[in-house]
Amino acid sequence: MDFRFTEEQDMMADVVRGLLADHCQPADLRRLMASNEARDSARWAHIVELGLGGILVPEDKGGLGLAPVDFVQLAEAAGYAALPEPLVENAGVALPLLAALVPADHPVLTRALAGEITVALAHPANPMVADADSAGAILTVAGDTVHLTTPEAAGLVHQPSSDPFRRLHTLANVAGETLATGAQPALDAAFDRGALFAAAQMVGIAQRCVDLAVDYAKERQQFGKPIGSYQAIKHHLATCQVKIEFARPVLYAAAADLPNGDLHSRARISQAKLAATEAADLATRTAIQVHGAMGYSWEVDVHFFLKRAVALASWWGDAALHRDRVAARVMTQPLGPEFTFARES
Amino acid sequence: MKVLVPVKRVIDYNVKVRVKADGSGVDLANVKMSMNPFDEIAVEEAIRLREAGKAEEVVVVSIGVKQAQETLRTALAMGADRAILVVAAEDVHQDIEPLAVAKILKGVIDEEQPGLVIAGKQAIDNDMNATGQMLAALLGWSQAAFASKVEIDGDHAVVTREVDGGLQTIKVKMPAIVTADLRLNEPRYASLPNIMKAKKKPLDEKTADDYGVDVSLRLEIVKTAEPPVRQAGVKVADVDELVAKLKEAGAI
Repeated sequence: MDFRFTEEQDMMADVVRGLLADHCQPADLRRLMASNEARDSARWAHIVELGLGGILVPEDKGGLGLAPVDFVQLAEAAGYAALPEPLVENAGVALPLLAALVPADHPVLTRALAGEITVALAHPANPMVADADSAGAILTVAGDTVHLTTPEAAGLVHQPSSDPFRRLHTLANVAGETLATGAQPALDAAFDRGALFAAAQMVGIAQRCVDLAVDYAKERQQFGKPIGSYQAIKHHLATCQVKIEFARPVLYAAAADLPNGDLHSRARISQAKLAATEAADLATRTAIQVHGAMGYSWEVDVHFFLKRAVALASWWGDAALHRDRVAARVMTQPLGPEFTFARES
Repeated sequence: MKVLVPVKRVIDYNVKVRVKADGSGVDLANVKMSMNPFDEIAVEEAIRLREAGKAEEVVVVSIGVKQAQETLRTALAMGADRAILVVAAEDVHQDIEPLAVAKILKGVIDEEQPGLVIAGKQAIDNDMNATGQMLAALLGWSQAAFASKVEIDGDHAVVTREVDGGLQTIKVKMPAIVTADLRLNEPRYASLPNIMKAKKKPLDEKTADDYGVDVSLRLEIVKTAEPPVRQAGVKVADVDELVAKLKEAGAI
């Protein structure tokens, strides 16, 4: 079995990384924050041009019909850049759900795939809706029924957010056009994608924090030497990198396994979310410490990544929920190397 | 008209270059490689000419190691129609010299008969800035180097060149060799649908022997050295001290 990414998957990731390196640097985030906006329309236009919207939408619904494993590195890149725009929630979670519930010619799906609008998702797993104010449509859930509504009709109530680029809202009214009843399987799949891609973003955030801290540790001098030359700094950063290196394969395995939608794949996704959350938590905290007394201030870029990590840690299920999902697999199925790739129902 | 674009696989421009311990060159082991940025501009220009209806086909060519296939796939993902890989080296550290590259390209051009060749003005690894000019000489074609604007006017190309202290516009008879400068255009990002299509586009593989070209080295690299480390600056307390320091340094 070849676990490596294909040439196309790596090329897609390179293109997205390159675009975000050109258009989503901390200086860009600072400009956006100063403007009190949560979205940069020029950057979003570049992202739309890449044709990312329909990446997980089946080909017969107008998308590219790719798999979560094709998107996981892109979500990681979005985390690495602390991308403000809802690429992951829109293309990775909401649009595949919408496509699963409506015909190919549904006007909202068509417009969303063309990049004219984004779709927000009010999933019961999350207490609030992210980026609902800038969305063209919102998917709401009542029981196992999915409705489609608009930000105007939903009566958005603004809620505080730790992350300046994630606008959170609760909805006064979840009613709207009924898309499907008995949609629990589709909602469960959306939850799995949400948790997986949140984990991917957190691996990206963790890596960015290590990179920022390493750069600073090479530059900042104390006692005539760069602080990175002292073991007190370098060991902490090495520990963070080890956490990331142990989270990444779990994440990629979960991405490859997600389409199976069974107990085994759910446990992998939850393990990825737990491992990525731990890596991001440690890396953000360590990066703040490495930056010294100014680490927690807005002068240092780490705060963008810390805030995103805090926001994502409890988004798409908190640690307790994901531990329960891992336990459901561990406690009920045989364990051991011979069962690593075993499937069970 | 067919446009041919030579592209080179070089060390990625974001990578911090490390000189090998023996000074014989740059360490390329496990280093990210990408398309030469000037070649990327050349590919973009060729695609724009096709999109504007001035060209029918864009063919990209790379000469080097087998891994240059990835570079060609990038060009195909940007929108080139087909690719030719000329395998002329096995070791990633072996650079093919401009004269050998120009001779192989001449062989490719004799077969392909393009109306225009757009190349990068130089590769960012060895900064030779020679292949385009040598190729024009070998073919006896017109040459317009350092292009910042290219317009096709019948069987002529009107090319604005970046020269010292300004711009020069020349009209060259086609077929011609144009070498792209930094400001010719801003290359596009390959879109996801095009990345997927690129896999299905034709990529022919040849060798230097197919063109009867000897790629053995004529130049010997005597020494490679890193640039001197930049010295730390000095903090000044006020403008008077700054002015004094500048006078001391002879800057004012």
